[in-house]
Amino acid sequence: MGELSAVDEAAAVELLHDLGCTDGLPVTVPTPQRVQRMGLAMGYDADLVLGTMGPNMGECTVEKLAVAAVMAGCAPDHAPVVLAAARAVMDPRFDLTEMQATTHAIAPLIVVNGPARDWCQIHGGFGALGPGHRANATIGRALRLAMINIGGGRAGTSDMALLGHPGKFTMCLAEDELNSPFEPMHTGRGFDPSQSTVTVIGVDSPQSVMINLDADDPTSTDRLVQSLAAAFANVTTNNATLGGGQAALALNPDHATFLASRGWTLAQLRERVVDAAVVDHDVLAASAGYLDRPPRPDNTYRCFDEPDDLLVFVAGGGGLYSVAFPSWCAGPHRNQAVTVEIETGQTCAIPGAATL
Amino acid sequence: MALVTTEFWAQGDFIARSVGMPDIPRVQLPHPVAGSGTKNMTMVAAHILPGILDSLNGKAAIDG
Repeated sequence: MGELSAVDEAAAVELLHDLGCTDGLPVTVPTPQRVQRMGLAMGYDADLVLGTMGPNMGECTVEKLAVAAVMAGCAPDHAPVVLAAARAVMDPRFDLTEMQATTHAIAPLIVVNGPARDWCQIHGGFGALGPGHRANATIGRALRLAMINIGGGRAGTSDMALLGHPGKFTMCLAEDELNSPFEPMHTGRGFDPSQSTVTVIGVDSPQSVMINLDADDPTSTDRLVQSLAAAFANVTTNNATLGGGQAALALNPDHATFLASRGWTLAQLRERVVDAAVVDHDVLAASAGYLDRPPRPDNTYRCFDEPDDLLVFVAGGGGLYSVAFPSWCAGPHRNQAVTVEIETGQTCAIPGAATL
Repeated sequence: MALVTTEFWAQGDFIARSVGMPDIPRVQLPHPVAGSGTKNMTMVAAHILPGILDSLNGKAAIDG
């Protein structure tokens, strides 16, 4: 699509709606000047090809990504995060083409670690996945707009999600590293705490898991493990029926602190939850009706192959609820998470950035 | 040869174009086929078989 013209901003927004270039919400009009400035904030030449986005196999250039970031309402500081997120979903392990095309309700969850959380003001506390946080809202939205306009994911013709879920508009948050007693998630994925990263994984809608911990109850940690495991090992999830994929878990700071105070590590938690995320063959056969793998000798199925298949990070407010993100478990790479470093120091000086 | 139900026909067109294979042979099936029962699926198979054979023999893709 070449350059468009309209008589004013309002007409331009209507034109973009009519052309199917929006997510249904109003957008910031990507004027050449705004796109150029956002491109400068990304720190690379506008015509640099970052990769291809399926199912349209569209070339994702810095300029096209800048268009998406402008339309989404990003600030220039958000540009390197958007760029890293786009690179992550274009990694072949992410299976973006298949993920965009599937009938399953799946959307990319973006988790930001490292110093970028602060300089982008990406929220990781109360309501981090809800409204009110510009960086969270616009970074995730920019990725979605890129997936629509570059990747060609449009409902009913190429994005075949039967119903979808609201996370398909935007789903981005930071790990609450300041309130976590554990090491940040990206350090377990090969990065240094001083590096900033995005980790992107395709997930279902978030599922609240209520766990009332009690310091006087010696079964508290076991109950926590069983409850978290049950969120994945129920017959409604693809983790139970298909297995073999990865999924995510947002541990609230109270739950994390409780575990740490009893000497638990994240590695132990992952191992215990993955071991407990098991569904009985007879239970599954009586409900799901989609069993294409043999049960284990004990007549059960595991939801996860390895402890590392469960991404765990600390986020949200302190309280009763942690949140499970079941997943799709399909595609050639079976729903793999991808972590990419956010490149800092590439950004050029941006004339008039405050008015972007 | 791709078997595509009516609900997914537009997606099939989209994917065929995007991967540079706009003329890939496709046969259209009613929707849904999955879970519609052996009797129905046998009927669908019998109905589309001539079209599949024609397509495999180099004739045009069909809308079943």
